[in-house]
Amino acid sequence: MTENTIINEDNIARVRDLLVSLENGDEAGAKEVIDELASVRETNLYQEVGKLTRELHDAIGAFGMDDRITDIAENDIPDARQRLNYVITKTDDAANRTLTAVEESIPLCEQMEQRSKELMDGWQKFTNREMTVDDFRDMSKGMDDYFTSQSDSFTQVKAHLNNILMAQDFQDLTGQIIKRVINLVAEVEGNLVNLIKIAGLPEHVEPHKKSTVELEGPIVPGVDSGDTVSGQDEVDDLLSSLGF
Amino acid sequence: MDKNIKILVVDDFSTMRRIIKNLLRDLGFTNTEEADDGLTALPMLQSGSFELLVTDWNMPGMQGIDLLKAVRADEKLASLPVLMVTAEQKKEQIVEAAQAGVNGYIVKPFTAQTLEEKLKKIFERLES
Repeated sequence: MTENTIINEDNIARVRDLLVSLENGDEAGAKEVIDELASVRETNLYQEVGKLTRELHDAIGAFGMDDRITDIAENDIPDARQRLNYVITKTDDAANRTLTAVEESIPLCEQMEQRSKELMDGWQKFTNREMTVDDFRDMSKGMDDYFTSQSDSFTQVKAHLNNILMAQDFQDLTGQIIKRVINLVAEVEGNLVNLIKIAGLPEHVEPHKKSTVELEGPIVPGVDSGDTVSGQDEVDDLLSSLGF
Repeated sequence: MDKNIKILVVDDFSTMRRIIKNLLRDLGFTNTEEADDGLTALPMLQSGSFELLVTDWNMPGMQGIDLLKAVRADEKLASLPVLMVTAEQKKEQIVEAAQAGVNGYIVKPFTAQTLEEKLKKIFERLES
C-alpha cells in the first residue's frame, strides 16, 4: 500500500511549495498546489473503489453459479412443481383405478361364493338321497348356469386383476420424477451453502421455534419429527397408559 | 354389534374414503356416507342420524380434532362415538385427541384387522 500513503517525497515537495507560495502571498500558486494535492487523493479513492469492484466481481464469478441459479429459479423450480403435481395425479389415478377394479371384483366373488354354497347344499341332498327327481332337474340346470356364469365371472375378475397390475406402472414413472426433484433440491442446497459462505453469515443462528399445534403428517424414516409413536401398538400403549 | 348403523367417513382424500368404506363394507357395515372435511361433516352429523364418525385429522377447512371438539360440544351429538384415522403420530396429538374425547385412534397406514379391532372395542364399551 506504499503507493497509497500520503507521506512521500512528492507530497513533501508539494507542501513545501505550498508554504513558499503562502509566505510570498502567491494566491494562484498556492491554489494550484492545493488542487494538485486533492487530485492525488481522489485518484487513490477511485483506485480503491475500482479494486473493490473487481474483487466483488471475482467473488461472484468464483461463486460460478450465477447463470445456473437464475436458471434454477426461472425454470427448474416451476418445472419441479409441475413434476410433483404430476406425481400426485399419477398416484391418485392409480389408486382410483385399483379401487374401481376391486370394487367391481368383490360383488362377482360374492356372487360366485353364494352360488357355490347353494349348489353344495343341493349336492349334499343328492348324496344323502334326499332329492326328488324334480329337484334334481332344477339342480342340474342350476349347475349348468353356474358353470357358464362362473366362467364369465372369472374372465371379468381376471381382467380386473390385470387392470390392478397395470395401474402399478405409476411407481416407475413417479420414482424417476421424484429422483430428479431430489437432485434439484440437493443442488439448490449446495448453492445456498456457498452463498452463506460468501455472505459470511453468523454460523450460529437461533433455531426457528415450531408452534406446538403444527401438524407433522406421515412419519418418514430417517426424518426427526419429535416425540412420536412408531405404530399402532405404541398408540394403543400410550392410550392405555392414559386410562383408555 | 349392529351392522346397520349409519357411519360417516370424513377424509379429504377420496381414495382414503373409498378404502375405509370398502373395509367397512367387508366387515358388514354397508350404511356409510362421506364428507371431505369437518365443515361439510358437521351439518351432516347434525341433521342425520349417524351412530359412528370415522375421521381424519389433517384436512383443509375444519380439521378432525376441531370436528371432534365440535361434536363433543354439541348437546345432541356429544355421545357419538368417534374413531380417528390419521397419519399424525405425535404423542402430544394423541394425548390431545384423547383429552378431547376420542373413542379410538388409528394411525395410517393401517390394516383391516386394526380397523375391525378398534370398532369392536368401541362397541363393546358402548354396550357395557
